[in-house]
Amino acid sequence: MFSTPPPAARSSAWAASIRIAWSSLGGRHGLCSSAAFEAGSRPRALRSPVVDRDGAPALLCEGVTKGFGAGVTALAGLDLEVPEGAFFGLLGPNGAGKTTLIRSIVGLTRPDRGGIRVFGLPAWGEHAAEARKAIGYAPQDVALDRFVPVRESLMLHGRYFGMPRAEARRRADDMLMAFDLTAKANSYAHHLSGGMRRRLLLARALLHRPRMVILDEPTAGVDLELRHDLWAYIRSLHADGTTILLTTHYIEEAEALCERVAFIRGGRIAAEGAPSDLRERFGALRLEDVYLQVVGR
Amino acid sequence: MGALAEREVLRVLRLWTQTIAPPVVAAALFIVVFGVALGASIRLIEGFPYEEFVVPGLVLMGVATSAFGNNATSIYQARNDGFIEDPASSPMSASQLLLGYLAGGVVRSLLIGALTLAVARAFVAYPVEHPWALASALVGTSLAFSALGTVVGLYSTGWEQQNVVGNLVIQPLVFLGGVFYSIDALTEPWRSLTYADPIFYMVVAARHGMLGSSEVPLGLSVGVTLGLAAAMLAWSWWTFVRGVGIRT
Repeated sequence: MFSTPPPAARSSAWAASIRIAWSSLGGRHGLCSSAAFEAGSRPRALRSPVVDRDGAPALLCEGVTKGFGAGVTALAGLDLEVPEGAFFGLLGPNGAGKTTLIRSIVGLTRPDRGGIRVFGLPAWGEHAAEARKAIGYAPQDVALDRFVPVRESLMLHGRYFGMPRAEARRRADDMLMAFDLTAKANSYAHHLSGGMRRRLLLARALLHRPRMVILDEPTAGVDLELRHDLWAYIRSLHADGTTILLTTHYIEEAEALCERVAFIRGGRIAAEGAPSDLRERFGALRLEDVYLQVVGR
Repeated sequence: MGALAEREVLRVLRLWTQTIAPPVVAAALFIVVFGVALGASIRLIEGFPYEEFVVPGLVLMGVATSAFGNNATSIYQARNDGFIEDPASSPMSASQLLLGYLAGGVVRSLLIGALTLAVARAFVAYPVEHPWALASALVGTSLAFSALGTVVGLYSTGWEQQNVVGNLVIQPLVFLGGVFYSIDALTEPWRSLTYADPIFYMVVAARHGMLGSSEVPLGLSVGVTLGLAAAMLAWSWWTFVRGVGIRT
């Protein structure tokens, strides 16, 4: 999707080029001011910390419970805390509650009990709109509006999140460039390849400059090359200070990307920690072994 | 909200060969067949030539059915394809979502109403005695059926359910609402059943707006029309607040 380097240098070169593209666009902070550009391009250690007003974590779930009737309990009093700026992975088998939890955070599934706060703001109720502005969500299912062209779908998303039309257009063009979709700007989603649709989902999630990006199995069903490209995208986001919450089935993906992981089983967090800490705690050589001990049948 | 409304309206305009042309052509055919071709054989209805008598009802029929069909289809399609989750997970409130989706149905149905009036003018020299009454009838009908279509689109679990509501509920009510005949020509129990049909009052309001007289007082017909619109809007708003069809 960028110019093709020698295979041996491919991942690092593409990751570098994506990092350059992302930084040149001012990262999460936008294009306009030199300060914003500086904030996007300075090494992370030298940037002023992005601290919420009251130091609240990016995500706080307390006792979140959700049932779907007929004895189906998707979330059973789940507690979870994701610090701001973290790269956090959520792993678990099918039916463990990952997607239900994600949908509860972004406002698509209403919990029966418990509380969810995003940067200190409740995800449901009076301040939910503010909480949702802080979230960028790329769902597992590739659900794109097939009645509008790609650029317009991005612009609509930006405007749904309160961006003025002109800014939404500029931002849409920036994201099309960053994700190498400019040539498809006037195409419709059903004319895109699977990989392009995945990139478009990610571009859409990032368009309104969210403080936290939630990726629900972003590499499900994609080929190895695109998976590594997406990893590079996501790493560049995190390097810019964005909080990442990633759900995945792939242990190697969690080990490659995440600073902390949590295993979800039966609607609750079964274990949580840095991959190295979890391996040590459970006496395992690989995170996969920890997974099988904690979650396996 | 403006973005969602724009999206819905542009969808209607881009697909005009499906959304605008067919209902206008159908109404024109009704006018030609029932009004012009058969009109000469039919005695005056309520003192008006038959071709003038049917125009208000045909215009209202187009507004009602297109408003319902647009919103029921658009919302169900968005749910079925999953892309409704983008606006649903945005900061937009239930009211903003509702107004955004209503825009498509209202614009489409009123556009069809206006085009039908224009086409009818080519065949029938109809009067417009009370423009505000006609506008109230058409706008009220548009809002009522756009809102009803929204509710059906949110509750539907399959395309067949929309067809059931559209073809087996709304269409019979429209046809039995006095579009083609005067209630004074009916005997019991059909007369009483017609008085129980809310669409009858919408048809009568539109007819009074154009022809200057109708079978029931104007205040009653406009009142029922606007009251039904208010009720449907309240129902659709509450359906969005509860997250029916969007939030689990």
